[in-house]
Amino acid sequence: MVKEIERAGLPVVHMCTVVPISLTVGANRIVPTVAIPHPLGNPALSIEEEKELRRKLIDKALKALTTEVEEQTVFEQ
Amino acid sequence: MKLELGNIFIRDIRFDSVSKVEKGILFVNADELRDHLLEDENIKSVSLEIARPGESIRILPVKDVIEPRVKVQGSGGIFPGILSKVSTVGSGRTHVLKGAAVVTTGKIVGFQEGIIDMSGPGADYTPFSKLNNLVVVCEPVDGLKQYAHEKAVRLAGLKAAAYLGKLAKDVEPDEVKVYETPSLKEGIEKYPDLPRVAYVQMLQTQGLLHDTYVYGLDMKHSLPTMLYPTELMDGAVVSGNCVSACDKNTTYHHLNNPVVHDLFAKHGTELNFVGVIITNENVYLADKERSSDWSAKLAEFFGVDGVIISQEGFGNPDTDLIMNCKKIEAKGIKTVIITDEYAGRDGASQSLADADASADAVVTAGNANMLVSLPPMEKVIGHPEVANVIAGGFEGSLQQDGTIVVELQAITGATNELGFNKLSAR
Repeated sequence: MVKEIERAGLPVVHMCTVVPISLTVGANRIVPTVAIPHPLGNPALSIEEEKELRRKLIDKALKALTTEVEEQTVFEQ
Repeated sequence: MKLELGNIFIRDIRFDSVSKVEKGILFVNADELRDHLLEDENIKSVSLEIARPGESIRILPVKDVIEPRVKVQGSGGIFPGILSKVSTVGSGRTHVLKGAAVVTTGKIVGFQEGIIDMSGPGADYTPFSKLNNLVVVCEPVDGLKQYAHEKAVRLAGLKAAAYLGKLAKDVEPDEVKVYETPSLKEGIEKYPDLPRVAYVQMLQTQGLLHDTYVYGLDMKHSLPTMLYPTELMDGAVVSGNCVSACDKNTTYHHLNNPVVHDLFAKHGTELNFVGVIITNENVYLADKERSSDWSAKLAEFFGVDGVIISQEGFGNPDTDLIMNCKKIEAKGIKTVIITDEYAGRDGASQSLADADASADAVVTAGNANMLVSLPPMEKVIGHPEVANVIAGGFEGSLQQDGTIVVELQAITGATNELGFNKLSAR
């Protein structure tokens, strides 16, 4: 899906836990997430902490979306 | 470490007033065993059924399959850390009821999986159609939480197998096989010219119905470690997983791991089988990196020339598999990986989710997406309606006449990545 949307001319950020698979299938902008069963959350946290975690992940993804890349890039920070 | 396995061949199983093994027949006192299993306050009802090879019987959903064994000599007991106290197993003597098994079923947690057909085309795909099975149907008390339910049924299967295994304690085995692993130092001195080979066994550790236990420890909480191969034969590793049943290792698979048995067959003549490295398949990327670093480090430390790696499951564990392969190859150690494929119903899609150029020696157990049609059976043990919701099934899988059309992945052990099956495409 990442590749088909990019083929249509729209940049894509792939948010995923298993970064190596994302690299293998050819995503260009990759944001690592929390865990396979809960990529964008963490049931071990309180609701407030989890909200903050989610917001940070989304902010990071939006920043990645607006960043020019020359090659496959993993946005660690 | 040295273990003698005394195999007692079982050719039939029957209910009787006294539980015993006599002339290759396993007699089971159903009331006595049922009472034993009902001692668990989490279990509301237990019913016992018999399913023999060739009978028109379908069992689903299957949770686990377990071979009855008993320790006759040596330290520890079968299923250490779970049924027996934590004590190192794998030495002395163990008796096996070869040809018999316990199969557990019941409606568990909504997504328990696995089909065993005792005859017809489905029987060819599962090794358990060839066994004399005692099927334990367990239903939990009302309101039991999912994790407690899984544990109750897991323990019921192990207890039933141990109950049957004890019947073999004083029976003279039909054959005795000996398996021995020397220490690293002894092995090097004894076989200086043979290539040194280790086995890296990956264990599914991803949560409810996706877990594996080692001496009672949930393996997701462990770093990779080593086992003597004979520890596996005494139940050191127990299955708690069955989802996408085709490539999950039942406890029966762990007890009879064909990679271990084949390496033992060549041990001392073609190669020096050094031991087993067990590792996990966790849901965090950092765990995957740490565990694969560790398995590579152990392989290097053991000074092996080659490693066989078996996967359990598919999807994200493909990454664990490739990490293990890549990192062990980077140490200058040759690898062969054993996996299966999810290549679409036509077999044309990419088979694994991850890949690397160093994975250049691969054994596949087949394409789990292949559709199979399982004609109706005269008797169904369990809950046939789950065919519509299990992995590999879909709305309409269960047809009016009882036929089930599913992907191969719904059949217990169909594409087992230890290479347990006999079917090939040659």
